Amino acid sequence: MKNSKNRQAVIIGGVRTPFLRAFGDFTPLSTIDLGAQAVKGLLKQFPVPWKEIDSMIWSGVILPSATVNVGREIIFDLGLPMEIEAYTITRVCTSSLCAITLAAAAIERGEADVMIAGGSDSTSNAEVKMPQSLVHKFAPVVLSPKSTVKDYFRLLTHLNPKKDLIPQRPAIRERLTGELMGESAEKMAARNKISRQSQDIFAMQSHQRAAKAIETGRFASEITPVELPDKKKVHADNIVRGNTSLEKLAKLKPVFAKNGTLTAGNSSTLTDGAAAVLLMELEKAKSLGFSPLSSIRSWSYDAVDPTDQLLIGPAISMPKALQRAGMTRKDIDLIDIHEAFAAQVLSVLKVLGSNQFAKDRLGFDHAFGEVDPKDINIHGGSVALGHPFAATGARMVITMVNELKLSGKSTALLGICGAGALSAAAILEAV
Amino acid sequence: MNDYLIQLTKNPIIQKLTNAMGLPKPPIELYRNNQPWEDRPLNDQSVLISQIQQTRITRTLAEIVVKGGGNPFIENDDAIVEIFNQVGKGYGRLPQSIIKGELPDKLPPKILIFDATNLQKPEDLNPVYSFFHSHLRSLAICGRVVILNPEITDQTDVSTATTARALEGFTRAMAREIGFKGATANIVYVAPDAQSRLEPVLRFLLSERSAYITGQPLHISTQVISDEAIPKTRPLDGKTALVTGAAQGIGAAIARAIAREGARVIIMDRPSEDIPAGKLAAEIQGDLLFCDITTPSAGDQILEMVANTDNGLDIVVHNAGITRDKLLVNMKPDAWDQVLDVNLRAILHVNEKLLPIMKNNGRIVCLSSVSGIAGNRGQTNYAASKAGVIGFVSGLASKVSDRGIAVNAVAPGFIETQMTARIPFATRLVARRLNNLNQGGTPDDVAETITFLCSPGAFGLTGQVLRICGGAIIGA
Repeated sequence: MKNSKNRQAVIIGGVRTPFLRAFGDFTPLSTIDLGAQAVKGLLKQFPVPWKEIDSMIWSGVILPSATVNVGREIIFDLGLPMEIEAYTITRVCTSSLCAITLAAAAIERGEADVMIAGGSDSTSNAEVKMPQSLVHKFAPVVLSPKSTVKDYFRLLTHLNPKKDLIPQRPAIRERLTGELMGESAEKMAARNKISRQSQDIFAMQSHQRAAKAIETGRFASEITPVELPDKKKVHADNIVRGNTSLEKLAKLKPVFAKNGTLTAGNSSTLTDGAAAVLLMELEKAKSLGFSPLSSIRSWSYDAVDPTDQLLIGPAISMPKALQRAGMTRKDIDLIDIHEAFAAQVLSVLKVLGSNQFAKDRLGFDHAFGEVDPKDINIHGGSVALGHPFAATGARMVITMVNELKLSGKSTALLGICGAGALSAAAILEAV
Repeated sequence: MNDYLIQLTKNPIIQKLTNAMGLPKPPIELYRNNQPWEDRPLNDQSVLISQIQQTRITRTLAEIVVKGGGNPFIENDDAIVEIFNQVGKGYGRLPQSIIKGELPDKLPPKILIFDATNLQKPEDLNPVYSFFHSHLRSLAICGRVVILNPEITDQTDVSTATTARALEGFTRAMAREIGFKGATANIVYVAPDAQSRLEPVLRFLLSERSAYITGQPLHISTQVISDEAIPKTRPLDGKTALVTGAAQGIGAAIARAIAREGARVIIMDRPSEDIPAGKLAAEIQGDLLFCDITTPSAGDQILEMVANTDNGLDIVVHNAGITRDKLLVNMKPDAWDQVLDVNLRAILHVNEKLLPIMKNNGRIVCLSSVSGIAGNRGQTNYAASKAGVIGFVSGLASKVSDRGIAVNAVAPGFIETQMTARIPFATRLVARRLNNLNQGGTPDDVAETITFLCSPGAFGLTGQVLRICGGAIIGA
């Protein structure tokens, strides 16, 4: 390996599974299965000799309790060499972008030459738990070798059917604020005065662009078909509705507040899916005969106060990534922002135009600048495609690196918000 | 130390009964906050703002409200709404413009602010009258009213001075009228060019930390010269503080609050207080210093302690104090000497020793008393000492302001402590009701105020006496 100072990590390419609405065809597949299918597709499309792979960084948000290191299981399931080191991270919705930048950092640091990074989530397989109080009552009796039939009998008489036996739904509320994410986004819409109509217009744009991208084969190279247990194959996303209209969207009822503006139509939905990206050191890529698509010029991970505006973080991360890259707004050709909710994206765009925000929150002289919602997410986003939490970041990277190559453009800026008021941004640069 | 009337108000049956019988409403339990300073003390509160016209501090005010987390409502004035719009956009706190005298959706405002810094003539009082006339009734429980006033100096013309002072009387009277709902009203005089020092003061006054301060004038000046950064949270990180008489009561509350905000606290008290002082030291990881403040060597003992552990003091709180009440004709020389020794001479002596080791941007806070302002029967010695403290802060302030040091005093009124619990039952019963809020304050009320006065952001205030008395009927 070369001196780490001269090393450059590059993205060779990536693939993703189709994104399906939760409790659809992917229901029998666990997050490990989905991840394995994505990595299998990746290695099929980019046939790197298996012995050259050094390491894998996987990511997930809903981790299976049986084994949390999903990445390592993917290696076992695919029969990849046991010597490939793997770990699994979680950084909510920014997870797989984080896996990718961690891999890039490891390559540039000289830890590895060839790495796989990605993420998967099966919201259909979120685990429903028995109450912890049941565990606390059972464990002392079951684990003790001295327990007698009498102890077991006493245990049964001590159970409280209501408290101990009703399973708990997976927690989807912010632990700190007790709010559903949609409720937080609803508050952001009200505070930033984002109208229902502007949200619906943005949602329609997302659906129409995604539908067009599918139609014109823009996603053909990035989607790998998934084989189901019954040998049936899934080839395409199933959430996109190209035929949606403002009238249809306007009919939907608000879901998070009585007089709210967020609907099922302008929010992202629970989704199953996985995405994986192949990264290499530039010289190594050349020696293996791969042509890189892009490098990662800069990135920024940040957090804000969840009790304020939960999902405003990209308005911090995106200008910071831009500054770290030594670039200005004019140098950016494509902007791709994760659409948790149309209201959240539009709030972020509004704040990006504020000089006051730039001065107070970033210490910058000038705002990032006004961004027209039409100028972002040229192939749609999570509202239309769905949002398997830990696959979204990698999906955005894959779409953007492919777009850079196809269109001959040179830079793309990504922004992602996440639970706990986390955020991430990265700048991809064509090489 | 329990106020049984406040306990009663919590009982819904009793509430219904008193309402049905037409009895006067018992006092409201004040909203208080003794948690660490937060980034947005006004979070999601509705703030109703009016001005005579756009003033030099309109933009500052917009930033204070918006960054504090408040939702601004502006009485119709397009220029002012536009300023609030520019500032609010970055924070998702866009102003709502309302028609004069009307509130959207009967929203009870938590905070009313009137910016009168450009008033000039008595007619300018009319918009103040009509603003509060129409909105005071809807002010929320434990709401806050703040009026911003121009500072009166030698250069102020007679008409402006007259009008500005009139507004102070207005505020004090209004404070008496809204006390029944736990709400407070205060007036802030802003000197020319001092608007940049307004933010920390308003963040304190508009928060729940100032629950027991009402009917007060505050004067923000540019006298203290400071270049220190003003943190919004953990304001005392890295500071060293000395609190005298810190083992129990108000002193302990002060030590806790100052330590909570990040300062290392030297807990100083008499050797006989070693048990409570030791417990407190363990609780707040403070340092102990046992010495009698009236001994001549007290100053040197402090110096030695500070020299051993740190290279100077940032904060000194002269809290130690005693009472030896007797009518003057019955007062023995001992009672006179002891009170003046502890409450006054010790401060002068210790201060003389400590001034050289006070760091730049330091803070000195003394405890005065409403008794020192208004006088109290049976307390000639105590009132003399506590009035002397007021002289001390006003005399010292100008001499140390070029070092960034601010010197202030607080004057507590009736505070529920072990000391006041010893007051005879009937007297205590009456005494704690003799204020706008119909109740006594808590040691935390004093501690929160002192913590604010010790913070870097309090550099706009110096040489002042801040009463913490719920707007006591006696006193000025």
